[in-house]
Amino acid sequence: MDQELTHLIKMANQIAAHCAPGEPSNVAADRAANHITRFWAPSMRLQIKAYLLADGVLLDDTAQDAVSRLG
Amino acid sequence: MLQYFDPKQRRNPEVDYGTPAAQGSLVRLTIDGRTIEVPEGTSIMRAAMLASIKIPKLCATDSLEAFGSCRLCLVEIEGRRGLPSSCTTPVEQGLVVHTYNPRLALVRRNVMELYISDHPLDCLTCPANGNCELQDVAGEVGLRAVRYGFEGENHLAAEPDTSHPYFSFDASKCIVCSRCVRACEEVQGTFALTIDGRGFDSKVAAGQDESFLDSDCVSCGACVQACPTATLMEKTVIEQGQPEHSVITTCAYCGVGCAFKAELKGDQVVRMVPYKGGAANQGHSCVKGRFAFGYATHKERVTTPMIRDSIDAPWQTVSWDEAMTFAANRIRQIQQVYGSDSVGGITSSRCTNEETYLVQKLVRAAFGNNNVDTCARVCHSPTGYGLKATLGESAGTQAFESVEQADVIMVIGANPTDAHPVFASRLKRRLRAGAELIVADPRRIDLVSGPHVQARHHLKLLPGTNVALINALAHTIIDEGLQDQAFIEARCDLEAFARWRAFIMEPRNAPEALSAALGVSAESLRSAARLYAKAGNAAIYYGLGVTEHSQGSTMVMGIANLAMLTGNLGREGVGVNPLRGQNNVQGACDMGSFPHELPGYRHVSDQRVRQAFEASWGVQIGSEPGLRIPNMLDGAISGTYKGLYCQGEDIAQSDPNTHHVEAALRNLDCLIVQDIFLNETAKFAHVFFPGATFLEKDGTFTNAERRISPVRRVMQPLSGKADWEATMAFSNALGYPMNYQHPSEIMAEIASLTPTFSGVSYQRLDEEGSLQWPCNDAAPSGTPTMHVDQFVRGKGYFERTEFIATAEKVTRRFPFLLTTGRILSQYNVGAQTRRTANIGWHEQDLLEIHPQDAEDLGINELDAVQVASRAGETVLAARITDRVQPGVVYTTFHHPESGANVVTTDNSDWATNCPEYKVTAVHLKKVERPSDWQTEHLAFTETQVRLMTQPTKRALDETA
Repeated sequence: MDQELTHLIKMANQIAAHCAPGEPSNVAADRAANHITRFWAPSMRLQIKAYLLADGVLLDDTAQDAVSRLG
Repeated sequence: MLQYFDPKQRRNPEVDYGTPAAQGSLVRLTIDGRTIEVPEGTSIMRAAMLASIKIPKLCATDSLEAFGSCRLCLVEIEGRRGLPSSCTTPVEQGLVVHTYNPRLALVRRNVMELYISDHPLDCLTCPANGNCELQDVAGEVGLRAVRYGFEGENHLAAEPDTSHPYFSFDASKCIVCSRCVRACEEVQGTFALTIDGRGFDSKVAAGQDESFLDSDCVSCGACVQACPTATLMEKTVIEQGQPEHSVITTCAYCGVGCAFKAELKGDQVVRMVPYKGGAANQGHSCVKGRFAFGYATHKERVTTPMIRDSIDAPWQTVSWDEAMTFAANRIRQIQQVYGSDSVGGITSSRCTNEETYLVQKLVRAAFGNNNVDTCARVCHSPTGYGLKATLGESAGTQAFESVEQADVIMVIGANPTDAHPVFASRLKRRLRAGAELIVADPRRIDLVSGPHVQARHHLKLLPGTNVALINALAHTIIDEGLQDQAFIEARCDLEAFARWRAFIMEPRNAPEALSAALGVSAESLRSAARLYAKAGNAAIYYGLGVTEHSQGSTMVMGIANLAMLTGNLGREGVGVNPLRGQNNVQGACDMGSFPHELPGYRHVSDQRVRQAFEASWGVQIGSEPGLRIPNMLDGAISGTYKGLYCQGEDIAQSDPNTHHVEAALRNLDCLIVQDIFLNETAKFAHVFFPGATFLEKDGTFTNAERRISPVRRVMQPLSGKADWEATMAFSNALGYPMNYQHPSEIMAEIASLTPTFSGVSYQRLDEEGSLQWPCNDAAPSGTPTMHVDQFVRGKGYFERTEFIATAEKVTRRFPFLLTTGRILSQYNVGAQTRRTANIGWHEQDLLEIHPQDAEDLGINELDAVQVASRAGETVLAARITDRVQPGVVYTTFHHPESGANVVTTDNSDWATNCPEYKVTAVHLKKVERPSDWQTEHLAFTETQVRLMTQPTKRALDETA
């Protein structure tokens, strides 16, 4: 796995971790997905979505849910 | 009758009114037959000057409280005995004052005669000649002879102290007026000077009667500014003579944004004098802005454009046109092969608003993408995110002068005396007047304990635990019923508050639960929370110790929550105040330097906003965010990002994980660096656009209090182009036309497209000195205090602030935590300050280590210590000090060869990608030689300097 993808996975997990506390899982995933949409370039979103489709095991549950909701 | 409310804005900064302004009900008196009304508490001297009656004086100046020692400002008051000094005598209703008559004239002349009897009569060769208050007053009182002779005991043979690099102290010319001593106390707050001895033996002494250089003097220049003779004198004036004209401009160092008079002979700056009319600094300065301007003409300035095919090839000096064509062709070739999004730009917080605006415009309009970012990414991007989410605007809430109304001041993760010294002086003045101080910092900064300043609480928390701290404080405030419920109910989103309240009141957020993680006792936390909540006016000032964490944005939101919880927003004396690092961090952010935001912090997905820019610029703007700096670097390593235009930033030194940054830069096909020196990043560049210093261009900077101040050109750009002109030429070479004739036209475009700037123009800046945004129809005079009646977002929003600890933890392999910071004499990566005499105060970056840890590791003072993290290792000399706590080490990053960022990691803030500079787990070991990186860096630097000088020398040979 290249550094870029490693960083994207780490960032997605971080975002999910900070969006999750105190929220129902679907709300947390929505918040994380919204954050990623607002701040990540399309190329980054494409990579993380491709990773989820290919494997995704290093993404935490909320992060997986969030990435799956990306447009 | 003249009536003076004496508001600061009506005071002429060029006039010395003798004593400070007072505030009070109006009092009527008569001075030399003129009736005048002034505020109660005003001195007779000031009242007279307001009526244009100048009373002779030597020990008085309006930046200092009256002292009454020189006995020259005596006046007669009808019905009163004696001749009181006008500086120490306050006005009273009905006073009738005479400032001149034969009796007063005789006394003044006699007093002056005594002064001159112990003063050298070398006026024609004196450096103060032409700008000497003593000489002026001698003229005013009509001194014609000195009857006492010079045979008796005197001070004329006193040896000058020339130890200081920037000014000399010639005691033979001192009249012991104490202005320097009082300036050090009252203006700067350092108390480094004193009057030593009594009577005839009285003399000004620095520190413990040491040389100025060895004393506690912080070289702010306030004493030099206050001196009425040639006793304290800038060496540049001694060498070059008095300047013959001046230009008011804005300092290019920290985010305080001090106004200076650049005093010149021709186009040579003789000295920089803090401008009394500057709203941010009110006539004060620090060692950087006051003295460290010599870098502008340093021999290492690169003044000719350069190009090369690869970073192993020699640089070729070329014309601007050739450089532009080369750069534009490279960028277009890259885009043809790798796509439009394969290139981007970085704007500079050291450049003007107009220049950062142009770079982001170039990226969006000429490159055709949103891949533009700024160095705020690595400093205050969490401030923008956190304050926008909670309060609605990505900026601090107050003007600096608001601190004068604060009752309790909480400083979190900031070191103002080193990084924002002029604001620190104002803050210390307020503390001396009785305000309480809370400091939250892992390290004992100078503010914790100093002359007449003592923090009530120093919350010496462990690095990485800020959010736990702010949660514990908030928990205590609610737990003990100290919240401002009326403010919350009137001003805040109550649903969000209820959710947040439930969260913060969970037992895990109690001080008692978090004390161990923080390393701070629960009682200290509760006591500090009570002090803040009960203050009346409580203000928070914070710096990079808040933002540069993996939870930086959460902490900023936590700070905003705390201020809302206690009603400490929307008036003077309170607020949330980010202390910005570089001079134009606020401005660079305002100007749309972020990949997700257009100027004015408006998201690129907002179609209405985009359409306004598209109509003005004549291009389509992408609706999706672009790449941030870390994403650009990742893309460079993976091979998708190939071209970068980097203006005025040195990411190879300033950004974390140097190995990663260098690998990314090496992978670029076209790196264009625009800078005044061949900086670390430029060593990896293919195109070099020579930059211009702040002295070489017009524009504006926006400081930490949202104050837009003018930058004015005092000398021609050494390269022939100001930075905005170079960006314009680059854009034209890329095929996107830009044809501004002056930066005022760029500001006009900014104002037309940015609602918070719509009232800003160069004409108004010239007329009013500065403006604080928002400045528009709703706030025509600007906005010193934000969120007065309601928050910008409407209702204040309490964001949940879960404490999620950083992944960067101490382990058996990496048992210490490294945190980084700045020192007073240096600025950021040191490119400017290292090329001035300031280098004498900081010849190398040192590793601060606690005495106990040093003893355990067998480390002595200045021993070479290897600092190794999972990212890399470097070697630094040890400074053993209990400023740091056991288990924590600290260093600065002002010298590239130190490699501080070789050690810092790729951890970053969850919301913004701001690097976690403040927390790196490291291993320490005493060693005998530099690290491999340092050895390679030295060799690489030598190679790059050789590659630059070779073609230059060849060109010279050809010319010969």
